[in-house]
Amino acid sequence: MLEIGGAQVWRGQTHVLHGIDLAVAEGEIVALIGANGAGKTTVLMTICGLLRPRQGAVRYRAAGSSEPVDLARLTPEAIVGQGIALCPEGRQVFASLSVRENLMIGAYLRRDRAAIAADLDHVVSRFPILGERARQPAGSLSGGEQMMLAIGRSLMSRPRLLLLDEPSLGLAPQIVEAIFDILSDINEAGTTMLLVEQNASMALELAHRAYVMETGRVTLSGRAQDLADNPEIRRAYLGAA
Amino acid sequence: MTSYLLQQIVNGLILGSMYALVAIGFSMIYGIVRLINFAHGDIAMIGAFTALAVMIVAGLPLPVVILAVLVVGAAMGLAIEFVAFRPLRGAPQVNGFITSLAVSILIQNVAILLLTAEPRGVAFPAFLSERIPGLPINIDLVDILIVVLAVALMLGLVTIVNRTRLGMAMRATAENLDVARLMGINVSRTIMAAFAIGSALAGIAGLMWSARYGQIDPIMGFLPGLKAFVAAVIGGVGSIPGAMLGGYLLGLAEVLFVGLLPPEYAGYRDAFVFGTLILVLLVLPNGLMGRAAEDRA
Repeated sequence: MLEIGGAQVWRGQTHVLHGIDLAVAEGEIVALIGANGAGKTTVLMTICGLLRPRQGAVRYRAAGSSEPVDLARLTPEAIVGQGIALCPEGRQVFASLSVRENLMIGAYLRRDRAAIAADLDHVVSRFPILGERARQPAGSLSGGEQMMLAIGRSLMSRPRLLLLDEPSLGLAPQIVEAIFDILSDINEAGTTMLLVEQNASMALELAHRAYVMETGRVTLSGRAQDLADNPEIRRAYLGAA
Repeated sequence: MTSYLLQQIVNGLILGSMYALVAIGFSMIYGIVRLINFAHGDIAMIGAFTALAVMIVAGLPLPVVILAVLVVGAAMGLAIEFVAFRPLRGAPQVNGFITSLAVSILIQNVAILLLTAEPRGVAFPAFLSERIPGLPINIDLVDILIVVLAVALMLGLVTIVNRTRLGMAMRATAENLDVARLMGINVSRTIMAAFAIGSALAGIAGLMWSARYGQIDPIMGFLPGLKAFVAAVIGGVGSIPGAMLGGYLLGLAEVLFVGLLPPEYAGYRDAFVFGTLILVLLVLPNGLMGRAAEDRA
């Protein structure tokens, strides 16, 4: 579905990604773990077109189409139209817009009113609190509620590939559990996911496969279960002695 | 004395209507691209000359004049955005600020070249300057029309901003440009909409100015433009309701300052307005309705 090959990405003057190879297949949850500053967020920003690789390709094949498209040539708006949504780090809901408007803006590119209304009901049934708070400004929600709103907002574009940047950041452990359960449900309903996480144990529990990044390179990859059992990973990222 | 005071208040509301219409554009454009567009007042001048051309030279009726001013104002805003500001996207704020001063000087001087610096009288249809009968104070039909048109346009704007898809996109873009793009919002189009709408309103303010004061010239937009900027700052730059409030407050304050103090202070009216700006920045740096200042790199 998604294939990044040899991507070299710079942020301003800084060379962040030194040739990344990464693939996500239809239906998978793939986790990208690694320390702060390893370049995980940069990978996501490159996929959604906010950054462009100086070298390498970002190929994406939507279900049903035979020709892959090169995302590096598309604008962020067009990439959303391809069925890719990013749930950004730190949630970044539109604080001054109402909860409902935040959800509706997720469906900004869609014109199918009836289906949008159905998806809105669907998101609200998944996150009932968003229905109760529909008219409040999003800035008045708690951190966990804002996370739910950010996920709901990205679902409103009906993404086939959902990119999640640190969904556990700054949230209480029970809320993280609840959100990861919901992510698992969303995946089972057919949405492919690429998950960037510092909380490696949660990420490896949820994901099918994972990549480990260090200073702009992929250093290890494999089945999430195998990585979780890997003694080196356990020592470096899972806090085992 | 009461009727004198009432008269001053009405005069202040009329002046405030024009400040508010211009201030809205300052705030909309700043809200989305973090740019203070000092050429904004000159669009009012272009609106005034458009009115002159369409009404006197072409001899068309008032509704057509209003429509023409809206269209020409919007077109000027789009042209300025495309030529001067689009190439500067992502550049430091100060570059845009200096560029807007250059655009302002350019517009004024091109206008002087084409139209001469000589002020021109604009003869509006006579029925506009008919006194409203039976009032203790002096109100002409044109005064009523100015306030009604200003309020109608502002209500229209508020409806667009709060109730339409475009308005939602504008508010989202103003709050977080990158995340707005991730929602699929075409940010360029949103920026263009802000320039077009804000400039159309400024053009109408110029039309009102010429209808009320009867005289226009190529640099007429400069000082009222600066004052409208002060109004936007008083309201809180970036806030549309703030710009409206700031416009009316400043219009009232300026007229009352001149009207209530002894005549020898009247010459200080501009100093009073800009003194107000300094005071507001000292006491309420975010204005009356602005959010905390933030810099977008």
